[in-house]
Amino acid sequence: MSEQAADRKPLLELQKVSKSFGGLNVIDDLDIHVNEHEIVSVIGPNGAGKTTLFNLITGVYRPDGGDILLDGQSLIGLRPHKITERGVARTFQTLRLFLNMTVKENVMAAQYVRTKATIVEQSLQLPRARREEREMNAFAEEKLGFFGERLMGYRWNQPAYSLSYANRRRLEIARATATRPRILLLDEPAAGMNPVETHEITELIGKLREEGGFTILLIEHDMHVVEGISDRVVALDHGVKIAEGSFDAVATDPRVVEAYLGASATKTK
Amino acid sequence: MSTNPPSPSDPASGPQIGADEWVRRSGERNTGPGGVVGFLQRVADRTPHILLLVAFLGFACAIPFLTTNVYVVGVATDTMLYVLLAVGLNVAVGWAGMLDLGYVIFYGFAAYLFAELSSAHYGIHWATWQSVPLVIAATIGLGFLLSLPSLRLSGDYFAIVMLFFLQIFNNFTANGYTWDWFGLGHPHDITGGPTGITNIDPWRLFGHALNPNKPQDYLWIASAGVFVIVILLASVNKSRTGRAWRALREDPLAANLMGMPVKWLGLLAIAVGAGVAGFAGTVNASYYQGVFPDAFTLQLLILIYAMVILGGAGSLGGVIFGAVAINVLLEVLTTPNHARWVFYAAVLLGLLAKVRPWKVLAAVLAGLVGFGLAMHAIAAAISARWVDGPIAVGPTAFSTHGFFATLIRHWVVLPKGTYEVSNYKPGNYAFVIVIAMVLTCTVLKGWKRYVLLVPTIWLGAFVWETDLVNQAATTRYLLVGALLITLMATRPNGLFGQQRVEIV
Amino acid sequence: MSGILAFQLYDWHFFFQQVVAGITVGSLYGLIALGYTMVYGVLKLLNFAHGDVYMIGAYIGLFVLTALGSPANPILPLVPMILLAFAAAMAGCSVLGVVIERFAYRPLRNAPRIAPLISALGVSFFLQQTAVLLFGANPRSYNTFELEQNSAGVGVLFHSTGAGNFSIQYIELVVILSTVVLMAALSLFVWRTRTGKAMRAVSFDREAASMMGIDVDRVISVTFLIGSALAAAAGVMTGLIYQQLNPYMGFGTGLKAFTAAVIGGIGNIGGAVLGGLLIGLIQTFTVAYLSSTFSDLILFSILVLFMLFRPTGIRGAPALQKV
Repeated sequence: MSEQAADRKPLLELQKVSKSFGGLNVIDDLDIHVNEHEIVSVIGPNGAGKTTLFNLITGVYRPDGGDILLDGQSLIGLRPHKITERGVARTFQTLRLFLNMTVKENVMAAQYVRTKATIVEQSLQLPRARREEREMNAFAEEKLGFFGERLMGYRWNQPAYSLSYANRRRLEIARATATRPRILLLDEPAAGMNPVETHEITELIGKLREEGGFTILLIEHDMHVVEGISDRVVALDHGVKIAEGSFDAVATDPRVVEAYLGASATKTK
Repeated sequence: MSTNPPSPSDPASGPQIGADEWVRRSGERNTGPGGVVGFLQRVADRTPHILLLVAFLGFACAIPFLTTNVYVVGVATDTMLYVLLAVGLNVAVGWAGMLDLGYVIFYGFAAYLFAELSSAHYGIHWATWQSVPLVIAATIGLGFLLSLPSLRLSGDYFAIVMLFFLQIFNNFTANGYTWDWFGLGHPHDITGGPTGITNIDPWRLFGHALNPNKPQDYLWIASAGVFVIVILLASVNKSRTGRAWRALREDPLAANLMGMPVKWLGLLAIAVGAGVAGFAGTVNASYYQGVFPDAFTLQLLILIYAMVILGGAGSLGGVIFGAVAINVLLEVLTTPNHARWVFYAAVLLGLLAKVRPWKVLAAVLAGLVGFGLAMHAIAAAISARWVDGPIAVGPTAFSTHGFFATLIRHWVVLPKGTYEVSNYKPGNYAFVIVIAMVLTCTVLKGWKRYVLLVPTIWLGAFVWETDLVNQAATTRYLLVGALLITLMATRPNGLFGQQRVEIV
Repeated sequence: MSGILAFQLYDWHFFFQQVVAGITVGSLYGLIALGYTMVYGVLKLLNFAHGDVYMIGAYIGLFVLTALGSPANPILPLVPMILLAFAAAMAGCSVLGVVIERFAYRPLRNAPRIAPLISALGVSFFLQQTAVLLFGANPRSYNTFELEQNSAGVGVLFHSTGAGNFSIQYIELVVILSTVVLMAALSLFVWRTRTGKAMRAVSFDREAASMMGIDVDRVISVTFLIGSALAAAAGVMTGLIYQQLNPYMGFGTGLKAFTAAVIGGIGNIGGAVLGGLLIGLIQTFTVAYLSSTFSDLILFSILVLFMLFRPTGIRGAPALQKV
């Protein structure tokens, strides 16, 4: 856990963000902040607006009200690829890999935003294009190496659809890190994993912070992961923040219990 | 190598030497297409692609030395133009996954612009090294302009808007000889109207003028163009833009969120394709020495799409193959004698490839021959007029003698006056019936299908001989249409395209 | 050119003639557009071949009329003969539509989006060439102008009626009324019958509909059947009014009709007819008052602008994509 983040400006900040779809308030007056090198988890029952939150931050939707700031600069109105260029990368709740491209190509494709060779240079294979290609290759291998031996060696040239489910999740994280982001948004990274894989993913997220230096905002349902890795937990219900703090504080908060288990549950506590 | 994977020694996390090596080695063989095509594809994969390209172009350029038949060399030149067009369309459709239904606009625009700059139409005769690059640049600009709607519209609606542009283009070129709008005063002849623009200058390179009456000049120019363009495009495909296009085709939203500017990439793909079409357009205008409004219509567009789809959208080698295959096939079909070979060969090959086991195949073939002879005997017994007709051997030539002619005439029922134009030709009715029978065959299973196959093929031969073989233009396009439909149903990735996994 | 414009603007008789003509051709576009909008609703498919089904319907009608001796020696009186032409064309095209769906689109239900579009282009091509093969590439005519001519040589269908500056021909009346009737019948079908409800369910969510016990294949076949029958009716009416047929007329008309469907809001039945009327009026007025050679160019330019600024149409709703 890092403490020096507390007194600096937050890396990502949502101020009074609201979003509604056709009269349904999906996100309502939400304030969230993530400090640099922090790992913050967002929890809440289904339909609480968690993925919508990610969609708002990454520019897929535009908020109806409020502001979203990365390092003090507003992200509102920017196109998604511009937001990625500023340093926000995400994974998806239902995987969205480039299935017919190879493992390595998936990771290399994500480096488009950090390279500069124009199409003319590429067609003539001018020095800058060749150099960038080599660098992208090496960088992709480095990012894939983060996961041990699973995505290395001959796996580089296998199409992504041939990977197992757990490996696909890892590849998606590797692809996101290849955009050289400041902050990683992970949408249910442990979904569908067995206990061994879940434990691994928890360690991996820690490793992403320690060795990769990433800041992480995490949506997760599996409380083992949330408990194991979060610096701070934010609980949402129906688009409203109902609790924030350490895992223990939030997990025992009566409003959170009520949101997950229903009103009578609080009475029996 | 054994056919069973070795059992994993340790259920731990990393890739396991035994099991995963087996997967790696045999996986490739299982996921590729089978049969002849698969074999060819694997051979092609192992040869350095530049060698294949040089071999192909080398053969094409050598054709003028292998034959003195001007017609054949002309066909080769036409084919090379189609190769250029297919390669250009592949960028937007095959690599970026965008439906570019306005592609022939770029081809036609370039041809017309070259015609305006280098012909007697306006009396301007720009030198080749000036007009060609300018036309290509202008066409690329037009490509960006016409693809702008894709910024606002989704794939389907963008396709429709491209069709609008095509209609506008066709309307303008066909009627653009009395244009007096926008304060021009008296009517101007911009596009030459229905008769187009003729007397276009031949290309002049290094002081030497190409001779449009010697197709090999243009064959070599087009081949050189193919060489340069394919190498440039292949380099782009290997680099970050090619990867970004492929990512765009896979999942535009994910690509956008991974930092790729998908809207711009879409514009770029169409503009690059337009550039290639632009080059082809300048060659076209100069080689044919004229540009006409009905040369650049939807029909041509569908033809180029057929070439790209057949070969496998996304594969440069595939679309080149598709262009060559379709254009050569269509040329062969213009002469009844040659066309006949294609038809019967295709039927036989189709039966050989699809009908198994051998006994059933033999039964079907025997039944076919017997059925035909029997029908012929019955028809002859009813009336001699019914079997008296000759077979067509040329556009206006018919024959009753010769080995092939005699064979066919005794197997197919050819009524006298078969080739006369008439409203109530039996061939027409038979055509509709044959279509119905073919469709029914695809629905039936087992022995019923083979039983129905015999009269279907026989009746199909009847329609072919009495109706189709003599109407080359219609037959060609009928086959292209049928080809597209069957391709999509059986092999949507074409012959040499990558076998893809799609999420619905 | 502007001088002519000013003169014609004061000719009210001419003006009303154009209004009626515009509504007439607009009704035909609307009928064809209904087929496009319904198929796009249930399958999300741009059925390029639909325009050619319309063309085949027109030719079937021609075939029937010629077989019955029209226009020189008709063996039946006018009304039954025309009704027979309608019946034959609508029946034939219904079958054609169902067959096309069954063999060219159904195998591609789960294929990538581009596959049925290419298949549709192939079917369109095939139908056009079949028409050339069976009926010849030269234009053919219904010759309805010569049916039951009066003393001035004008066929009965083209006699006009009306008052003051307003006049309308009988055939135009027939077209407009038929369209209203057919559209009303279709609305009733879609909103009041079980199959209609099933159609609407399938257009919302095909998988969910199939899990609710709806036979999706049958519903889609019915959609094609109805759409093709309406297109065939439009085809016969085209023949009756404009008389000239050629194998390539389906594509351009089909394109305008599809745009009518989009303008009205794709999937919306009333919108399709509304869009058709709008395009019919724009086209007629462009030809009458601006330029007849470049009318297509002007019309399609307008349509491009419309698509750019209002792609969801007049009565459509934008679709939300779940991320």
